[in-house]
Amino acid sequence: MSVLKTSLRNFFAHKGRMALSAIAVLLSVAFVSGTLVFTDTMNTTFDKLFASTASDVTVSPKGAAVDDETPQSGRPESFPASLVEQVRKVEGVQAAQGSVISTSVTVVDARNKNVGPTSGAPTIAVNWSPNELRSVEMASGHEPRGPTEVVVDGDTAEKHGLKLGDELRTISVAGDFTAKISGIVDFKVTNPGATVVYFQTATAQRELLGKEGLFTQITADAKPGVSDETLKSSIAASVGGGYKLQTAAEAADAGREDVAGFLDVMKYAMLGFAGIAFLVGIFLIVNTFSMLVAQRTREIGLMRAIGSSRRQVNRSVLIEALLLGLFGSVAGVAAGVGLAVGLMKLMSSIGMELSTDDLTVRWTTPAVGLVLGIVVTVLAAYIPARRAGKISPMAALRDAGTPADGRAGRIRGGIGLALTAAGAAALVAAARAEEAGPGSLWLGLGVLFSLLGFVVVGPLLAGGVVRALGVVVLRIFGPVGRMAERNALRNPRRTGATAAALMIGLALVAALSVVGSSMVASATDELDRSVGADFIVQSGTGQPIVPQAQAALEKAPGLDHVTEYRWVDATVTDPRGKAEKVGLAATEPSYVRDLRRETTAGTLTDAYGKGAMSVGSDYATEHAVKVGDVLTVAFKGGETAKLKVAAITADTGTVDNGAMYTNVTTLAEYLPADRMPQSLLLLASAKDGQETQAYQAMKDALAPYPQYKVSNQADYKEQLKDQVGQLLNIVYGLLALAIVVAILGVVNTLALSVVERTREIGLMRAIGLSRRQLRRMIRLESVVIALFGALLGLGLGMGWGTAAQKLLALEGLGVLEIPWPTILTVFIGSAFVGLFAALVPAFRAGRMNVLNAIASE
Amino acid sequence: MTTAVTIPRHGGTGGRTAVAARARQVVKAYGSGETRVVALDSVDVDIARGQFTAIMGPSGSGKSTLMHCLAGLDTVTSGEIFLDETEITRLKDKKLTQLRRDRIGFIFQAFNLLPTLSAIENITLPMDIAGRKPDAEWLRRVVDTVGLSERLKHRPNELSGGQQQRVAVARALAARPEIIFGDEPTGNLDSRAGAEVLGFLRTSVDELGQTIVMVTHDPVAASYADRVLYLADGRIVDEMLRPTADAVLDRMKDFDARGRTS
Repeated sequence: MSVLKTSLRNFFAHKGRMALSAIAVLLSVAFVSGTLVFTDTMNTTFDKLFASTASDVTVSPKGAAVDDETPQSGRPESFPASLVEQVRKVEGVQAAQGSVISTSVTVVDARNKNVGPTSGAPTIAVNWSPNELRSVEMASGHEPRGPTEVVVDGDTAEKHGLKLGDELRTISVAGDFTAKISGIVDFKVTNPGATVVYFQTATAQRELLGKEGLFTQITADAKPGVSDETLKSSIAASVGGGYKLQTAAEAADAGREDVAGFLDVMKYAMLGFAGIAFLVGIFLIVNTFSMLVAQRTREIGLMRAIGSSRRQVNRSVLIEALLLGLFGSVAGVAAGVGLAVGLMKLMSSIGMELSTDDLTVRWTTPAVGLVLGIVVTVLAAYIPARRAGKISPMAALRDAGTPADGRAGRIRGGIGLALTAAGAAALVAAARAEEAGPGSLWLGLGVLFSLLGFVVVGPLLAGGVVRALGVVVLRIFGPVGRMAERNALRNPRRTGATAAALMIGLALVAALSVVGSSMVASATDELDRSVGADFIVQSGTGQPIVPQAQAALEKAPGLDHVTEYRWVDATVTDPRGKAEKVGLAATEPSYVRDLRRETTAGTLTDAYGKGAMSVGSDYATEHAVKVGDVLTVAFKGGETAKLKVAAITADTGTVDNGAMYTNVTTLAEYLPADRMPQSLLLLASAKDGQETQAYQAMKDALAPYPQYKVSNQADYKEQLKDQVGQLLNIVYGLLALAIVVAILGVVNTLALSVVERTREIGLMRAIGLSRRQLRRMIRLESVVIALFGALLGLGLGMGWGTAAQKLLALEGLGVLEIPWPTILTVFIGSAFVGLFAALVPAFRAGRMNVLNAIASE
Repeated sequence: MTTAVTIPRHGGTGGRTAVAARARQVVKAYGSGETRVVALDSVDVDIARGQFTAIMGPSGSGKSTLMHCLAGLDTVTSGEIFLDETEITRLKDKKLTQLRRDRIGFIFQAFNLLPTLSAIENITLPMDIAGRKPDAEWLRRVVDTVGLSERLKHRPNELSGGQQQRVAVARALAARPEIIFGDEPTGNLDSRAGAEVLGFLRTSVDELGQTIVMVTHDPVAASYADRVLYLADGRIVDEMLRPTADAVLDRMKDFDARGRTS
């Protein structure tokens, strides 16, 4: 009988025992291939979108921001309509169309509800032209024909229940204006989520740009036979260097690049989590094969006795692993496609429309999934396979019903302790690091080594920790508890590996929860110390605050003052001629009360004087700038100013760290009115004793502007906490995959242990152990293994989190907070995980026929 | 043909009778129709209290099945089995488990002990499971009788095969069960260790008044018993009181010869 045949028979004989390992492989592969399919599908969607909207050559002003970036001024860069005529006359141009596109708009319905996307996609306001029919078709109604008509996209209309005739109010820097819906258009390709509104050209110019006769973009189409490239150079020759020209291909590339960054972050983050699941899966596979080899010791001994070579035995185990990897991966790839579809549905529910028509499965996806699944499985099975090869033919003759209790070796302990010590040392080095760069390297090494150390040393710790847990948890269950404890301890390596799998996921949960709570605690602390303002107003989407909203707000009764905070890009040159591109905060003198800043020299109020500014201490040190020095500041889109340094702020804390301040009025001297940035946020304080009324009044004043949110300090802290909490929840959700695989590992270990201990169970049942007691014994063993893993994981994770916080203290994360409720919940939760994992193995053990169990070999 | 061996000895007046266990018309069959195999064919048997009974018979005669049924480990197809006055064939698993735990002791051929527990923990296991405190005085006596006082803290894998079986005997005795069932308890031992274990069983009957039923195919082992029952083809075909090894062996040869000629 060939090796392959033996492997196949063994594999199918034990398919039940293989099932859980196969599920672990399946889950990990599914996550990888699901991620790939999902991101590829998103790419397809965006590619189709860009291809459908691009014309042969696009002309836009050089300084124009990319599509979804909103300019600080709230006004897109524009040029006069005469340029369109000029482009039209260029040789090779078939047609040229001027268009107005602005993403600095918010559209609300009659009940002041924002109809814009919540997913981070932009709201886009465009002038209607027949060109639009390339990407959309009129579903109902007609194009916008007058100044009071607007057309909206069908996805948005459906989501917000908009019908023809409904009123929409468009809010932009140029003002508010209301129009009735005259038509609804459907996209011909999938629109991943932007809200699009269309106006008549003159209306768009007037209401978005503030003036008729301006355009933000020209789309030109080539005559037949003229290539896009040729057309681009002809137009460039005509319009000169002040414009950005893109062919259709370049525009699509630029758009793709724009979303690629976001997609890549998402892709690699998800692949990272899949990697963690794989890592956990390795433990499961190693354990499974170790147990199968142990149970088959006599069988393998017999094979060796009748002449199988070591290599053949070794290979037969590896072939089984190969089959396992193959089955798991094939199913995993299929499940991955399903997962991707599920993710797309999920994204749709939070506002990102994706269509299964675009579902993209590239050949690389199954290839990557299969290779990864099979290679990882075979590698994981390598150690058990080698051990199988070492089984002597004598094993066939020995009465080896159960494998001897595995004694963890001294060498193992030495290596484990050395690794753990190295990890701890690296973590301490990270905590004490003076600079972020080397510090993060130490942190990475510390995490890696301490994890490896714990994995290696885990089986040795099992004895002590399980006994300690036994005293606390198990003793109350009497002899059943004692037997559970002994069972958990009888093979420390197996218990260690099973617990280690759970440890990994929980360590990450603990570490992130420590960092998250420290983040919230540090920010709260910082707010308490430095923020004097009662209220903060900002938009959730980074849209600057339009003047009409600010005006409405300032009218709210009970307010002491409102402080603007504008951000402007500039090139600052020090007295020695060294230039640096920076952002300046243009604000008002009341800002010094709203945000308390220490100064190392000068007085901050002086920085708001005419022709004055302040710099941060880091900048001052680096550029040897003192109070009284004059800096040359070239404002983007405006003139160059000479500003005197009146104060140097201490670069401590996280709020406005390193900011340069100047007065809004100073900025206004050097920037034309339409290039003035709008406030990014507003700070306000109430008159003494009127905080509550003022808060309500501000909320009322902002009701017509739902894109902005006003919060007092308490609410702001709460929001901060919620935001961090949400982020952590997403990460926990992704880590759940690794934890599920770890739970499968516990189930697997228990199931195989039950099989291995069939005779023992039979004996115990024969001498009077009841089913309930038997089930309880298995459950308790499971709980102890889970708690052991949780203890290691949480301990390790808190160590990581603390080291990370100490390191991040350099970035202002000054307060360490260990979220004990979370830690405790996870610990107790893992006991339930243990109970859950034991359900099926305990049930099966209880159902075992006593006689068969006694008789079984 | 089984009436010859059913000698009713109990008075039927309640309380502890002279019969520890009895089987009435017990049938155990596997499969049905063409493939039906009868392991026990209408067996009637009484196990006398305070006696050492051996069950013998060739492989496949049903001797182990009979023991398993008497001990409440296996179910019967029809018939009744009484342990003292308790009819056990209709008991649910829970009651049956309790019965085994509180009223029956077991000694198996091999794998009698839990590897994770020490000798003494193994001995007290049935009582621990039941949540009963062992009687210290009795326990000491049992342990002394089987000569294990020195090795109580050892794990089974640190004990020899004979010692392991002695621990198993001690466990069976420690809970003072009404009846102890042994399934080839010396089958895996060399003759010296086997003799030791059988000696303890004999002593426990003589000195402690224990009731023991043992399945064996070893005439020497059977010679330790007060009474030997012979099973063939699922029926009790003969019995021998106060057996000797030679007499048992002769009887066995006799059966074998009859088996071949018939």
